[in-house]
Amino acid sequence: MRWAAAFLCGAACGTLSAWGVGGGTLLLLVMTLLLGVDQRTAQGINLLFFLPTAASALLCHRRGGYLDRRTLRCAVPAAVLAAAGGAWLATAVDPALLRRPFGIYLLLSGLLLLRGPGNRGS
Amino acid sequence: MGDDARARLSGALAGLANGIFGGGGGMVFLPLMSRSALSGRQLFATCVGVVFPACAVSAGVYLLRASISPAEALPYLLGGLSGGFLGGALYGRVSPLWLRRLFAAFLLYGGVRYLL
Repeated sequence: MRWAAAFLCGAACGTLSAWGVGGGTLLLLVMTLLLGVDQRTAQGINLLFFLPTAASALLCHRRGGYLDRRTLRCAVPAAVLAAAGGAWLATAVDPALLRRPFGIYLLLSGLLLLRGPGNRGS
Repeated sequence: MGDDARARLSGALAGLANGIFGGGGGMVFLPLMSRSALSGRQLFATCVGVVFPACAVSAGVYLLRASISPAEALPYLLGGLSGGFLGGALYGRVSPLWLRRLFAAFLLYGGVRYLL
């Protein structure tokens, strides 16, 4: 039953991601708020979930020539180092300490999404 | 701030958010880079190019340090794969506008739940 619920939630989030809805946090919230998965496990699964989808999207973007190499050269090393440090921190401290910052991050993301150009009616 | 410095800072903050919160680095990168000279499609594609390696590294750290079992992740990954195909097949038949609004409302609800 739990396996089926996880599969269906993954399928729903995968469908929405294909339509550009989800932003990398939808499955995480579904797991923690609806399925009762603990925060750290949900974060790890969420990261794994993103990889195959992003890999296939990247191939398409590369073929289409949409990747800006200069931005990638500057941003990727910084992103990778900061991600390693952030993940180490998240797995070292009590997850309860990160609840408040995560809540603020979600509120800001929600507000940004409501104000974003992709969310205005045509 | 120059374009290179902006890209470095945006990449670092997106990577940090990805590592600490387990996702959502793109939500940091896109608004920070929205004033760059990149077109919308280029910006979105490049964002995926920045967030993907950050996600891969973060996932590796979580797998090593948070003892996440791949078996636990499997149903979500298989579901995601099926959903990706379904979403691709139905693409263009559903307007994502209201779905985005619902998702934004869900984010706000989640934010309040985490803060309480």
